[in-house]
Amino acid sequence: MTVTTLQRAPTTGPARPAVPLRLGRSPTWLGVAAVVLPTLAVLTVQAWNISGWPAGNDDEGTYLSQAWSVQQGHGLAPYTYWYDHPPLGWLQIAALSWLPELFASHDQVMTGSLRTVMLPITAISCVLLYLLARRLGLPRWAGSLAVLLFGLSPLAVSLQRQVLLDNLAVMWVLAAMVLCASPRRDLWQHTAAGLAFGVAVLSKETIIVLLPALVLLLWQRSHPATRGFSLAGAAGGLVTVLSLYPLYALLKNELVPGSGHVSLLEGLSFQLSRPGSPSLLAADSANRQILDSWLYYDRFLLLGGLAAAVLMLLRRPMRPIGLAAVLLAVIAMRPGYLPAMFVIQALPFLALALAGTADRAVVLLRRGTAAAGRRLPPALRRPLYLTAVALTGLAAVSAVAPGWYAGDRTAVTADANDGYDKAAQWLRGALTDPATARVAVDNVLWMDLVRDGLRPGLGAIWFYKIDLDPAVARELPGGWKDLDYIVSTPTVRQPSNSRLTTVQEALAHSTVAASFGSGDHLIEIRRIVTEPAGEGP
Amino acid sequence: MIVSIALILISTLFFTMAVATLWWMMHAWRTPENLARTRFTEPEGPHRNSFSLLVPARHEERVLAATVEKVLESHYEDFEVLLIVGHDDPETTAVARALAERHPDRVRVVVDTHRVKNKPKALNTALPHCRGDVVGVFDAEDQVHPDLLGHVDHAFRTADAAVVQGGVQLINFSSSWYSLRNCLEYFFWFRSRLHLHARRGFIPLGGNTVFIRGDVLRAVGGWDQECLAEDCDLGVRLSSEGAKVVVAYDAALVTREETPDSLYALLRQRTRWNQGFLQVYRKRAWARLPLRRQRLLARWTLATPFVQALAGLFIPVGVALALLFAVPVGVAMITFLPLLPLAVTVAFEAVALHDFGVQYSLRVGPKHYLQLILGTPFYQLVLAAAAVRAVWREARGQHGWELTRHVGAHLAGGGPMREIRNEG
Repeated sequence: MTVTTLQRAPTTGPARPAVPLRLGRSPTWLGVAAVVLPTLAVLTVQAWNISGWPAGNDDEGTYLSQAWSVQQGHGLAPYTYWYDHPPLGWLQIAALSWLPELFASHDQVMTGSLRTVMLPITAISCVLLYLLARRLGLPRWAGSLAVLLFGLSPLAVSLQRQVLLDNLAVMWVLAAMVLCASPRRDLWQHTAAGLAFGVAVLSKETIIVLLPALVLLLWQRSHPATRGFSLAGAAGGLVTVLSLYPLYALLKNELVPGSGHVSLLEGLSFQLSRPGSPSLLAADSANRQILDSWLYYDRFLLLGGLAAAVLMLLRRPMRPIGLAAVLLAVIAMRPGYLPAMFVIQALPFLALALAGTADRAVVLLRRGTAAAGRRLPPALRRPLYLTAVALTGLAAVSAVAPGWYAGDRTAVTADANDGYDKAAQWLRGALTDPATARVAVDNVLWMDLVRDGLRPGLGAIWFYKIDLDPAVARELPGGWKDLDYIVSTPTVRQPSNSRLTTVQEALAHSTVAASFGSGDHLIEIRRIVTEPAGEGP
Repeated sequence: MIVSIALILISTLFFTMAVATLWWMMHAWRTPENLARTRFTEPEGPHRNSFSLLVPARHEERVLAATVEKVLESHYEDFEVLLIVGHDDPETTAVARALAERHPDRVRVVVDTHRVKNKPKALNTALPHCRGDVVGVFDAEDQVHPDLLGHVDHAFRTADAAVVQGGVQLINFSSSWYSLRNCLEYFFWFRSRLHLHARRGFIPLGGNTVFIRGDVLRAVGGWDQECLAEDCDLGVRLSSEGAKVVVAYDAALVTREETPDSLYALLRQRTRWNQGFLQVYRKRAWARLPLRRQRLLARWTLATPFVQALAGLFIPVGVALALLFAVPVGVAMITFLPLLPLAVTVAFEAVALHDFGVQYSLRVGPKHYLQLILGTPFYQLVLAAAAVRAVWREARGQHGWELTRHVGAHLAGGGPMREIRNEG
């Protein structure tokens, strides 16, 4: 019953609620330190040499060029936006991109410099992960451990540094889970969780596979008396955000396919029918190669984390985390298209599962030593327990540390973008009239050319678009002959790009003007030769 | 450009208001603790208060006897029932007199001789005859629970309240397409929203199952006879005086009622309420509320029917304008913003409908959920029409009381429709 007092009436205590109040504890300095210190450690390692390692990739450049396009008011992409991904991810990057301007230098390729936008994303994810660990009932040290595992694994360092939409989606999923697990069980938090998950999906659509884990968490954490409303609020929030995407397409008359325009449904069917490969369990499949590259960076977090996630399925509070990791593993194992960055979405759950397992191990050690210690004098019981914990911890660290040290050492010292840096500098010197120059490049270099004064889209040309975008082809009536240079990079040379006929002709009718690096990392700046006797590649 | 700016401003405004209204509507279900606080606590200790229960009855000879007999089944010992009838209504008077003869120790009849009659006049006529510490009001068709008075007495004793507002619930949700929405409105209002008002210290009281300390009621001069929403007005005046109000809702103890028996009756009822809200707003008793946020809540609550009518008109117009004027896509998307909280509201309503069915042991099927969703725009249309009609009548100085007729659809077996004179 509501017992309400007006300002002028005397106060009486409220009637005892039928449900005990479970309010969150206020943070203590120890709690603050437990999240701030590991987060700072993660940020230090990830920020150090962020533009040098790993090698820039075309996806990063693509999202950055799209964010740039939003910022300049050119629309959602420098070329026709064709619903390849929902745009909310690079809209967020665009909102953050004032930040890297503070750090950008002409010595380094723009794509590398602009990676600083990812540091606040990583920082927020670390804090959210810690909060989630605490709300799932883990002790402070396990929360700190989860943050360290999440951010210091060599796999994490190389992927979280990159401007990839998955990192944004992970941040929003963690926010949704933190809201679901709130001890206040407030309807607005559950509705906000739905909104946050919607933002995650519109940042990177594949993360929608985590929906069952989120629903399970909300089911567990809501009160039976208000659960229906909590679920309706979360569903309402999610649908509200998701509906904005088809609404946008509808208003642009681009929802359903039609002649002369792109459409959301076509984009979606492209993503669902991307040429795939046999399962990663099959030897020699393309997906197996992706798995091997992940395992090369960090076997422990991936395999140990997955085993821990299966264990966590048995523990009720941690079950949604176990479910999330297992769901992602199942999706990764199915035959079909597997993006190389897919593993990013699993990292927080693998880290949490390991932290949860460590917490269980400590509990079991305490029980075990308590049983064994009954025969010892009381003064020796605690040292026995501490020694057991220390030995177990030391064993775990010594198993993992060498691999991680080597991996992270590469990450903070190697210079994988040297070739791109030099290519960008060379082009800056060679292009005497940037306003009329036409250079086909991959998206790692695209932002540099635009900065140097080439016309975005038609002067600085993303090589795919020469063959795939009719609007670009119209502006190049002579095909490859209208180009001045084409920069051959590992991305351009990918076997799947052999279908791009104009690009192939441009490569065939060009000579090497400058080259940097060697082997797989070779970058060649090739001048187009229009005379019939052109030298082939 | 001007169209774009106007669309952005108006859409954002309606969006904000829709979200705020939704937020308040969901008050009881926001947290499990809130929900637990909306119930009556189990009464304990000896009874203290005596009750005078007022039952104004006008052309209600068909339902009155059943109502009073039900009230007399109360397990509480110290109460009296005052039946207020009109001098020009011999049929109801006869039923009332018969009841008083059958129960001389409990039931008395008060005759209202005002030439033009309405409910506040009837209540004020009876007020000097009340002997109890607490004055309660029931409508002639109310189904009152025998344990209600004990709980109300306990609430008065333990919370030191000046007013206790009990729950009222329309029950006949499957009588017509609009009765389902009408029942849900009551469910949201009494189950949830009123508790927020009690907590914030500004409450538009309901017209029945409301209990007020006699001395407090006399001190504020009883009901306003000229106001079409005398119950809301009394609540606003008591709130302004700092009276402590307790709201309690319990499905077992709630007073059950029926929806208006035709769409036209619903329209007239809503017109009357809305006109009453306008009158209460213009009386400005709410301006004496001590806190700014209380005054804001008061303005907002009294204006809500009219704002909703405006929003209902604007949303399709805004969307049409956005499409016709080829505004930028971003602006066009913003014109759709007010629709989004509306969709979330329907999701919450579906859950509430389920809860309603569970609490009242009513069979809620897929048909009803469909009715809920499909009925939304049409019901909004009726509410908007009532808001417009209220402004129209108020502007033309038509203050007559349009009585809601009752046929007993909430009683077992229902009852035939009756003719009733429209007064005023």
